[in-house]
Amino acid sequence: MKLEIEHLSKHFSGNQYPAVNDIKFSMQAYEILSFVGPSGCGKTTTLRLIAGLERPDQGVIRLDQHIISNTRTFIPPEKRNIGMVFQDHALFPHLSVFDNIAFGLKGFTKAEKKDRVSELLELVGLEPLAKRFPHILSGGERQRVALARALAPKPALLLMDEPFSSLDAHLRLEVREQIRNILKASQSTVIFVTHDQEEALFMGDRLAVFNQGKLEQIGSPETIFHDSGSRFVAAFMGDSDFVRGKSMPSGFQTELGLLDQQNDYSPGTDIEIAIRADDIDFELNQQGNGRIINRFFRGAFNFYRVELDSGAIVHVFKLHTEIFQPGDRVLTYFNAGHPLKIFTR
Amino acid sequence: MLHKLLPVLATLTLILSACAGSTSQPDPISSNQNGNILSGKLIIYSGRSEPLIQPVLAAYQAKNPQIEVLLKSGSNSQMANTLLEEKANPQADVFITTEVFTAHALSQEGIFQPYEPAGYQNLPDAYKAYDASWVGLTQRMRVIMYNKDLVSQDELPHSMFDLTDPRWKGQIAAAGSTNASMQAQIASMIQLVGQDQTEAWLKGLMENEVTFFGGHSDVRKAVGAGEFKLGLVNHYYYYLQLGEGSNVGIIYPDQASGEMGIISNATTAAIINGSRNPDAARDFLDFLVSAEGQKIFAEGNYEYPLLPGIALHPDLVPTDGLKMANIELAQVVENFDATFVLIDMANLP
Amino acid sequence: MFRTEALRSTNRRQNKPIPKIAFLAGWVALLAVVPVIYILIRALTGDPELWQRIIQTRLIKLFSNTLWLVLAVTSGTTLLGVSMAWLTERTDVPGRKIFRWLLALPLAIPPYIGAIIHLALLRPHGGLISQWLEGTNFASLPLPNPTGFWGAAFVLVIFSFPYVFLLSGAAFRSLNASFDEAARMLGRTSWQTFWQVTIPAIRPGITAGALLVSLDILAEYGTVALLRFETFSSAIFVQLAGRYDRSAASILSGVLILLALVILYGEFRIQGQSQFTQIGSHWRPTTLIHLGKRRIWGFLALLFTVLVSFIIPVGLLLFWSAQGILDQQTISGMQIGSKGLLSFIFNSVWSSGFAAILAVLFSIPIAIYVVRYPGKVSRLFSRISQVGYAIPGVVVALSLVLLVNRFLPFLYATPLVVVMAYVVRYIPQAVRSSESAMHQLSPNLEEASRLLKRNALQTFVQVTLPLILPGLLAGSALVFLSSLKELPATLLLRPAGFETLAVRVWIWTEEGFYLQAAPASLLLVVISIIPLYFLLRRETIFRQ
Repeated sequence: MKLEIEHLSKHFSGNQYPAVNDIKFSMQAYEILSFVGPSGCGKTTTLRLIAGLERPDQGVIRLDQHIISNTRTFIPPEKRNIGMVFQDHALFPHLSVFDNIAFGLKGFTKAEKKDRVSELLELVGLEPLAKRFPHILSGGERQRVALARALAPKPALLLMDEPFSSLDAHLRLEVREQIRNILKASQSTVIFVTHDQEEALFMGDRLAVFNQGKLEQIGSPETIFHDSGSRFVAAFMGDSDFVRGKSMPSGFQTELGLLDQQNDYSPGTDIEIAIRADDIDFELNQQGNGRIINRFFRGAFNFYRVELDSGAIVHVFKLHTEIFQPGDRVLTYFNAGHPLKIFTR
Repeated sequence: MLHKLLPVLATLTLILSACAGSTSQPDPISSNQNGNILSGKLIIYSGRSEPLIQPVLAAYQAKNPQIEVLLKSGSNSQMANTLLEEKANPQADVFITTEVFTAHALSQEGIFQPYEPAGYQNLPDAYKAYDASWVGLTQRMRVIMYNKDLVSQDELPHSMFDLTDPRWKGQIAAAGSTNASMQAQIASMIQLVGQDQTEAWLKGLMENEVTFFGGHSDVRKAVGAGEFKLGLVNHYYYYLQLGEGSNVGIIYPDQASGEMGIISNATTAAIINGSRNPDAARDFLDFLVSAEGQKIFAEGNYEYPLLPGIALHPDLVPTDGLKMANIELAQVVENFDATFVLIDMANLP
Repeated sequence: MFRTEALRSTNRRQNKPIPKIAFLAGWVALLAVVPVIYILIRALTGDPELWQRIIQTRLIKLFSNTLWLVLAVTSGTTLLGVSMAWLTERTDVPGRKIFRWLLALPLAIPPYIGAIIHLALLRPHGGLISQWLEGTNFASLPLPNPTGFWGAAFVLVIFSFPYVFLLSGAAFRSLNASFDEAARMLGRTSWQTFWQVTIPAIRPGITAGALLVSLDILAEYGTVALLRFETFSSAIFVQLAGRYDRSAASILSGVLILLALVILYGEFRIQGQSQFTQIGSHWRPTTLIHLGKRRIWGFLALLFTVLVSFIIPVGLLLFWSAQGILDQQTISGMQIGSKGLLSFIFNSVWSSGFAAILAVLFSIPIAIYVVRYPGKVSRLFSRISQVGYAIPGVVVALSLVLLVNRFLPFLYATPLVVVMAYVVRYIPQAVRSSESAMHQLSPNLEEASRLLKRNALQTFVQVTLPLILPGLLAGSALVFLSSLKELPATLLLRPAGFETLAVRVWIWTEEGFYLQAAPASLLLVVISIIPLYFLLRRETIFRQ
């Protein structure tokens, strides 16, 4: 194991709840792990605990089988061989690009520095900018320099704290693809923090979903998306709406009708079903169970927002050939080709 | 980590202070008491107005180029306070003050070391410490100067106590309570006429809206320029102003029988106990009471030299024609605290 | 003042228990506060009879005098400073750019030199103006009395208003046009907009500046002594210079410090509330107000202020210096014992310079502690270290005399005591500018450095220090400027043979030796312009 975390906790004085609450997970070498969750969920704090920028209240952190933090030991950040890319890139304004990248190369001779820095500039595609200073670079260029700087000393682990959030939206898509390629090309082990679930799904080989200081679920993007371990994950990551119902021996009774699905719940349990826009369908029906509130044009599809009579909101995909109007009454029903995720209430 | 900086900084500070401190530690003295090859620093604390002590310092420095003459001037009491504070760790060599009470008080505290400069026997006893711990240099009188353009002969006041007459309201200039001569006058008056009368006089001055300046130079210039009709000064200030061409006159007050007479005092000099350059200090004192030094005071400052045989400045009135007040030195010094109480009660600025 | 906009860092982290830097910061805070505590103890344990006497005789008068003077000068400088800033920043008065510089230059002139010139001009019968008027038809024109309350207030306003001028100028400049425009759309006239929108926006910053000015007035000695208006500060000096007992001085000092601490506390509170107007990417500068025909009045107002506060004083100094230099006696009269003019200049420069370096060095731990470890304790240390604002030079001198003699006798009677006095008194200026510089530094930079294999000290030296250096230099320039001008503490603490330009100007003036005092004053002003220029260049209103 590259990185092992056990029972990691951190409580800031003055806050009611712990920022990081008994986190446990591990990482393999060369994998990119995305930390994702809403703001204040503890993902950045966990990152900073791993970096050594905060001191945990309890827990063990092991990097390459060495303990870097436990109740008796605390290795300071400069000795952990961990690299970090910050949200605001944190390039040293008084140093050139070259000197920024070379900053972590302690003990290298001048020639060695030159070689390594050139290598990295090539890797990130910024060779002509070696002599420039950070303030004249664009946002995307700065992040790439920050990445090169962090990778230069060949860290055992690379941490990235929302590195794209300060970029304009259209740049973000382009830059993150470039960055992912660089990370893979350099064979780095990376923890990548973001609050954007789409970004997390794209960047990560695995995802770790955080909520209120706890690690809700860790797994591959597919698992997280389709097999959400908790209602929160389903809601946050899974593009899901929720429909309430009661369990029955052979299925679940809901306002969309009966969902045929084997289950082990004792009959009469209150549950919620996580559905996606492709799991349900509707047809025009004056006596239906809901009405269309809005239609969103998505090119090949239309994305309809339907308000059920109970007040719940669900979404439905329809081919672009079928157009329905807001205000139309519809009958919504299940149309999934696979078992749906069920959560108790 | 940063703790490592602290000892470095501390050492630096100590080194620097040692270097700077060396300005107050003299070079090794190679001297000869016969007046040959004196060197090192001569540190003089002076309560006198700077320009009045400058000439004699300059003359001495010119005669002894190998001595570094360093002066700190301030008010009498400021310098006296400093000497008292430095008692355990004396920094100065010589103290020059404008009146004898301070000298006496400091002598009682053991601040001075005795020395009889050349010609000591010839100096009048009234202005010498009984144990030779300080010596008077020149005599000074408290007088009233007036602007002749603004005051006619028949209006002239004849006594210190006339200054409280309402006809002079707002027309009088004097030095304020930080001035040693003023303090000495008040102290003398307490001894001469009693505390109550002195207090009444002070309050009378306040009611008469006397303007109190920081020093007598301002007073004499103001009277000379016609800003005020009368000024309460030491006698030589009148002559200095006269020498600048102003139309001023002088009154020697309280000459009539039953009146207290002229309040006089003396500039004194003393050697500090624990002086680091006593040889240069003694040589300096010798110079001050020598004919050459006394001449500088007499001719440059219009002062009354205490060394007999030195010619007065031709404009000066000899003292034998004047009625001087009978001041008991020791008694006055005892009453000095009362002086400050009175000053505060009268709210003298 | 002399602060640039601060970026509010959103990273407020409560970190490990007691960081090492806290100890260093604690030492500095202690250094700053010990003199105050010592004085307060001496004051409170003073002889009750002495207390009574002081209360009976002078306390009320001193209180009343001091407070009235503070009130008058603070109002005067605010009025003058804000109106001058308004003219140069918000209107189309011609020559604005030059006036901005000229109006700031009086800061190079210590107020007591201003008082000297004021007296020299307006002395009845003896002053220059009355001499010029003699023989003309205006000979009997009653001239204002240069001394007393109004004289002191006038001089202090003229030479202190640049503080408020610079502050309000920066505030006006940073105002966003959209405030004004929103007000106009809601039906307000320009005048109403000014009072209801502009002034409230800049008020906290101006108030903070005005309070600092009032602290300066509390501490002012030279001017009020020369112009014979008795305030606490001058009364304390009189006690120290004219009495044999330190107790009365301690008592008066104690009262003065308490008064000043109240004002200082007020300033801390307001400064904390003041909004640093964000210059975001949607900021637009306000449009200038066109004065039309009234431009000439604005121009004349600016011109008159510059004349009175800078051109005439410096002109006179030049004139007298020229007179003095040509007279051989003047030059020889500048020798004091074995020391001459060069030694005075050298002493002024090296003691102020050394104090500036020490003040900035000591301020660094406080700045780091406050900005990187925000919390009650660090804020307390920061405020304690700024207590020097509330201690006038006279009181610093008194406390150092008492303390140094007792605990650090090897420092006594060396110039280092003078340097110590400067540091104690002016370290708050260094603390403020160092804190401001640290605020602008993103903590991520230091964290990045740690993760790039630098420990805390190396990070400080290789990353923090180069980036806060401009701010540190500004702080040192400010301390240098203030120390150059310092008078009462230097007068009282200096060892024999150690004279600074400020002291010489004072003593020569006291003796009426204007021909010697003038070149020394001129030199002092000229030397002061160097750090002043450096400071002004960093101010926003001088950047285009």
